Amino acid sequence: MLRTILSILGASSLVVLLAGCKADPPGKGEVAIMTWAKHKIFVHNKSQRNPLSDNAAGVSDGKEAFSHYCAACHGLDGQNTGVPFADRMSPPVPSLAGKDVQTYTDGQLKWIIDYGIWPSGMPGSKNTLSDDEIWSIVLYLRHLPQAGSLGEPEMYTH
Amino acid sequence: MGEAHGTPPPPHSPVEDVRMKFKFAWSAMLAALLLAAPMFVQAAAAQPAPRRIEVTAKRFAFSPSEITLKKGEPVLLVLTSADVAHGIRFKELGIETKVGKGQTSELAFTPEKVGTFVGHCSVFCGSGHGGMTLTLHVVE
Repeated sequence: MLRTILSILGASSLVVLLAGCKADPPGKGEVAIMTWAKHKIFVHNKSQRNPLSDNAAGVSDGKEAFSHYCAACHGLDGQNTGVPFADRMSPPVPSLAGKDVQTYTDGQLKWIIDYGIWPSGMPGSKNTLSDDEIWSIVLYLRHLPQAGSLGEPEMYTH
Repeated sequence: MGEAHGTPPPPHSPVEDVRMKFKFAWSAMLAALLLAAPMFVQAAAAQPAPRRIEVTAKRFAFSPSEITLKKGEPVLLVLTSADVAHGIRFKELGIETKVGKGQTSELAFTPEKVGTFVGHCSVFCGSGHGGMTLTLHVVE
């Protein structure tokens, strides 16, 4: 219990400290601490299961929903393809196919899409997308296509 | 002696027999179809016109937002957009229609299951898109 409280306090003060900083890319240490803190403390809903069944129709629904709201920052492939500012944000937009994202549980991914991750650029989408759409996006995240295979989001190509 | 009566008519070959039967069967079927045709026409005419329900979609709600339908009664849902592009999808019922900006589209279906079904807007339309629903109550 004490350990958890201390961790929360430690990570929170770090966040407050960092919030006042210039938007430089985070250092390796910061990334390691924040990744740990997010997985273990900040991102809830670890045990909730995806109610949708893992099939082609579900993944295709997720791909569709993802293309409307998420693709602006994450690219159509979830790997930032064609997103001009992806590595100029602080923290940079992560590849959703990467280990840091894929090691979240389905429930945690749902939570992140619902509530966003403060103070990163990730916004919450609760009510902007329906629960069903969000769960289908979680499904899509588990079946992301080859990086670059879907081209660039239309908004950046004309 | 028998030869004096000229050539006797050739006996029916088995192939010809089958052909004759086939022809008869065809004629019988054709006749039956012709006789039954008015009944089909009558049946089609007797089917009631689907119940027409007009729904307006406007960011971020459908109006009306709840509809009660009778099981087995054909419905024509006429969806009109009052602003941007929208859609309605009832995943459980496997039906969907999309409607362009300011346009109208139709969705014909017959509810076969009793229950409550929540349809969602199926075209991303902005910040309240996720909460834009139309509820169908299907009763006996």
